[in-house]
Amino acid sequence: MRTRTATEIIVRAELQAWRNRLIKRGPTRLALLVLFIIVAAVTIGGSVFSLGVASGHFLPTASDPLLAGGFTALSVLMLVVGFPTVIATLFVGRDLLQLALAPVHSFEILLARALIAMSANLLISGILLAGVLGIGAGAGAPPVYYLLAVALVFGQVLTITAFQAILMSFVLRWVPARIARDVAAAVAGLSGAAFYLVWNVSLRQAFSPHRQPDAANVAVFVERIDWLPSSWPGHALSATIAGSAGSAASWTLLEFGLGAGLIFIAGVLYRRTLLAGLGVFGGVPLRWRRASPESRRFGAGSGVGSPALAIARKDWLGYRRDIRRLARLLPAILFPIGYAVTFLRPSGGGGSFWSQVFLVSFIAMFMSTALATPSIPSERRGFQLLRMSPLSMGQIMRAKIALTLPPVLFLSVVFSVVLGLAGRSGAGQVLELAGLVTWLGVGFVAIGVSAGAIDPRFESTDDRRSVGLLGTLAGVGGALGFGVLSVGAFALLQLAPGAATGTAHLGPIPATPEVATVFGVAAILLAFGAGAVVSALLWIGHARLRGFDATISAT
Amino acid sequence: MTAGDSIGPTSDSPFAVEAHQLVKRYGVVRAVEGVSFQVHRGEIFGFLGANGAGKTTTLRMLCGLVTPTSGTALIDGFDVFAQSTQAKSRLGYLDEEPFVHPHLTAREFLDYIADLYRMPRGLERQERMERLLHLFELADRDGELIGGYSHGMRQKIGLASLLIREPSVLLLDEPTNGLDPRSARLVKDLLEELAARGTTVLLSTHILEIAQALCRRVAIIDRGRIVATGTMKELAEQAGSEQASLEDLFLKLTAGPESKEMIDRLLAPAP
Repeated sequence: MRTRTATEIIVRAELQAWRNRLIKRGPTRLALLVLFIIVAAVTIGGSVFSLGVASGHFLPTASDPLLAGGFTALSVLMLVVGFPTVIATLFVGRDLLQLALAPVHSFEILLARALIAMSANLLISGILLAGVLGIGAGAGAPPVYYLLAVALVFGQVLTITAFQAILMSFVLRWVPARIARDVAAAVAGLSGAAFYLVWNVSLRQAFSPHRQPDAANVAVFVERIDWLPSSWPGHALSATIAGSAGSAASWTLLEFGLGAGLIFIAGVLYRRTLLAGLGVFGGVPLRWRRASPESRRFGAGSGVGSPALAIARKDWLGYRRDIRRLARLLPAILFPIGYAVTFLRPSGGGGSFWSQVFLVSFIAMFMSTALATPSIPSERRGFQLLRMSPLSMGQIMRAKIALTLPPVLFLSVVFSVVLGLAGRSGAGQVLELAGLVTWLGVGFVAIGVSAGAIDPRFESTDDRRSVGLLGTLAGVGGALGFGVLSVGAFALLQLAPGAATGTAHLGPIPATPEVATVFGVAAILLAFGAGAVVSALLWIGHARLRGFDATISAT
Repeated sequence: MTAGDSIGPTSDSPFAVEAHQLVKRYGVVRAVEGVSFQVHRGEIFGFLGANGAGKTTTLRMLCGLVTPTSGTALIDGFDVFAQSTQAKSRLGYLDEEPFVHPHLTAREFLDYIADLYRMPRGLERQERMERLLHLFELADRDGELIGGYSHGMRQKIGLASLLIREPSVLLLDEPTNGLDPRSARLVKDLLEELAARGTTVLLSTHILEIAQALCRRVAIIDRGRIVATGTMKELAEQAGSEQASLEDLFLKLTAGPESKEMIDRLLAPAP
């Protein structure tokens, strides 16, 4: 009988744990979960697949740029949000300590843990795969295309994971231990954001106000990133569609060669840095700073202690001292700043008012997801302290929303004002944009906190995995619903004055005061609908937290 | 003023802790089956049982962390679930692996707990914090994060976080676990002193010497059921052996295979 490799054993144990977690839910919850997954797969995957089919069929010349862009987008996303996962999987955990003690080669540990880390990217890589398969179907690609697509998406995720492991290992190997955590946080925060910025600058140049975005223009933009290895799988697939076997084989070999090379380098470095990483990332730093007379003044002052402020102070200290949380916080904060810089470039324009609306909506949603969603699960075992305290779950949720709102609102509003000014929008439009982003920020933060309350995984050492599938789907669905309803209401309110004065161009709808009234009423209804989405999620989150009855084991 | 003072007077109940027919089932697994007992005010009550007997689940039901399948838990006469604010304000629970925030220092953690329970800020609170830190020998560990503490030190900061707010009832799950002999002695003396001043202590442990030394009455739980409750004398009478030690009684009441027999079976040569 064949002996299992250590990699197989580790992955198998992880799958068993995953299976046990699923079974623990009970048949009703399991059925609901399956239903959720099917609905999500059909709606999200089906939509992306259909878009792929349409573009593959009607834009055959754009297949290469679209595929290259898709793979690059996946890489960027992984670099932006994936570092905490890589750190948590490769360098943190009691189970990892156990592996380090066992007679297992570090390369096998790396492979197994990298596969586990990759599972967090399944959702986004699944969306890319749906689009890639759609393009192939639309363009009438040969059967080998589909097999190659699956292999290349998998290879790309593994390659980026290996690249992230290399970056972290570099820090551990050559940066002094006392500052390694901070440097790692900076690298994790900056590399994804920097890559994204470069991409975004290229995007802005390609879509400058002097050119209308079209397929040819997309091609110009993607050609700028042609040299990036992230686009190689796209070239391999487009060559397969075109029937150019030699070209397809070359790009594929290049991609897999690069992947193998990076995994090899990661393996060599991981062998030398695993133990150091366990020390630097795995545990809490022993000391935070030297003793100071000020630290003895805790509890001084007057008045009664405030639980909300206490939670705020504790969360803030946790962010500063926990590398994984810091690595997640940095990109969220750098994004709006990066965007602002991009739009303030002399050659850059602010785009149309509506593109500004969509950008501010995206920024508010992104920041809320990054900061609000893990805010409750990140309590870890400390959540039991909150449960035992005389605070209600409603108070805890309100405290978490109140704590997450200031940074999200501040950065989103600043970003929207900068965007409005850069786009030479009038003061009225800037104010409208700021108002919209405030509304969106409040809603997205409430939805994010609710998502974390609906399905918290307090034992997770990685913020990105601290919310289960149910919470993630509820959060994403809720945010999309709230966002669409809110922006819809905003759009109707924008159009109503023009309709009232007869100056708006509404296509087949006449611009009359009656239509303006209908628009106004519809806007109010949509806004109520958006509010209802938030209220429903808050209610469910509150009920789920109140009913939380599980043990939270030490991780 | 303690946190408890702000939420109304103590009820008229003569008992500080009451468990009435507590049942907890996880699917088909019966963790706790109809556990009932009462603890008088100012009493140190021992709750004994083997690993997995249901001690921790019972304690977690009493402090509101685990919802019972049926039965009620009262703290100072207040239902832990129906009147949770009143009950929780009077209660301090120390888990066998204390709930702490690893990225805070000891002072920051105590300050956090004091604020959670809305304790008044000021000199009194500050002094109490310093006294506790000195008592548990944590005062000089300024700037050191709790995540870097040993298990024993985490037990100490866990205990300090209960005592900072002076709860009237303490539920302690293996409080001396991981403590060095000096600290274990300190905890024992402290519990006796607290009980003498009116604090009720429900002590779950499997270190029988501690239970024998500290507890006036004990309850023994086995496979989720209380098999005996009473003073040492009463337990000895129940077991039919007046000279028996608590260890003898415990082993008799929670009967399983003899250890000698099991060791022989383990070390027997393979057939």
